[in-house]
Amino acid sequence: MPDFSPTQYAVPFFVVAVLAEMIWARFKAREAYEPKDTLISLAFGLGSTVAGGLLGGFAAFVFLEAYQYRVFDLGPEWWAVWWAWPLCFVLDDLKYYWVHRAGHRIRWMWAAHVNHHSSQHYNLSTALRQSWTGSLTFGMLFAVPLILLGFHPAMIAIAGGFNLIYQFWIHTEAIDRMPRWFEAVMNTPSHHRVHHATNPRYLDRNYAGVFIIWDKMFGTFEAETDEETIRYGIIKQLGSFNLLWAVFHEWIGMLSDIARAPWQHKLSYLLREPGWTHDNSRDTSDTIRARWLARQDSAASNSVPDKNAIAKSAKPA
Amino acid sequence: MELNTELLVFAGSLAAIFLLAGLARGLRLGRDPVLASEAEAARWAGEVHDGFLPSRTALDADGKGALLEDASGRLMVLKPHGGHFAGRILDGTARAEDAQGKLQIISGERRFGTVTLQLENAQDWASAINALRDTCDA
Repeated sequence: MPDFSPTQYAVPFFVVAVLAEMIWARFKAREAYEPKDTLISLAFGLGSTVAGGLLGGFAAFVFLEAYQYRVFDLGPEWWAVWWAWPLCFVLDDLKYYWVHRAGHRIRWMWAAHVNHHSSQHYNLSTALRQSWTGSLTFGMLFAVPLILLGFHPAMIAIAGGFNLIYQFWIHTEAIDRMPRWFEAVMNTPSHHRVHHATNPRYLDRNYAGVFIIWDKMFGTFEAETDEETIRYGIIKQLGSFNLLWAVFHEWIGMLSDIARAPWQHKLSYLLREPGWTHDNSRDTSDTIRARWLARQDSAASNSVPDKNAIAKSAKPA
Repeated sequence: MELNTELLVFAGSLAAIFLLAGLARGLRLGRDPVLASEAEAARWAGEVHDGFLPSRTALDADGKGALLEDASGRLMVLKPHGGHFAGRILDGTARAEDAQGKLQIISGERRFGTVTLQLENAQDWASAINALRDTCDA
């Protein structure tokens, strides 16, 4: 069995790329970086590797148990089956789409994933703002179908590692658009800026990891428009550079809500979308988008010229 | 990986983190955000809460924040956060007090903290903020 972690080898590349983007920012867009924000993002990255090492054992145990029940068997030398690798990579990316979508639409999952969105900046260091608490969610269950199909957990882990490495470079404002054919198939900086945006039109869009086709297939794609400046972060910006608060704030908020909620609503605070409340006292991304759309419609109807203006101005005979 | 190697990798990564963050400071990246106009404050307010339209705005004398009120009487405070602004719609847990000629707004949210602004009509704003508690208690 190959003992290989692609992300480990990619770390020096991450450091050099962040350095290069900083130099770009120095000359082109100083506001693209903020020292405290960068420190927090990088600390998130380091902390997530420690948390993964400490808490990842349970997921590995579940995966290896599930592997005993696989439907197809690639044999004892499964790593030598060449066609299994690209197939595993594509299916793992499909899995990523759904786990990521759940990460935005289920508050329990969002409590862990919000970390990645908590910066008001968007640069390569933001890519390293990875969750510490992903192991405390049920996200790992999304990989079980792949394991039952016969892909070894190590193969899925390696495919996931390459997926993560791919996603690193798309966290930048330094690249505008890629060639059209590339934008059509692959996730790109442009598509992923949309995903990190808090503008109502962009909320809960572009969940893709590597291939943007999943968003186009499942109705969550939104193209970046040049008409609107993107603002990054979360609906309720943290307003604090406290690392531990950034890591745990949504867990604390969710557990407090569950503790306070009437019994019949407790589970909804765990499983419904972020922002949902039983008394409608907060906004969800859906309500924000609906309000924004209503404003757009209202503005459009106000600006429509009166087609019967001549008739209106004419005096009755 | 053995424990010693893991510790070495951790220490190296930590050093790289501080090096990069220090470099960001050394290259003078980031910006000192300033609110230059009421329109700019209104734009930020719309980002804090989509659709928030201020009917009254008070800018800090140095542009380091603002207080805004909309037609429905909701009050919002803006404060600099890194290179951007962050804000909160104030509720009954907020309060305001005069601090050596400046208005200190305790947001009521521990991590968001206290915002100190130098405003015209500070007393009016303080009364409006402190009245939120009365509304809440009523």
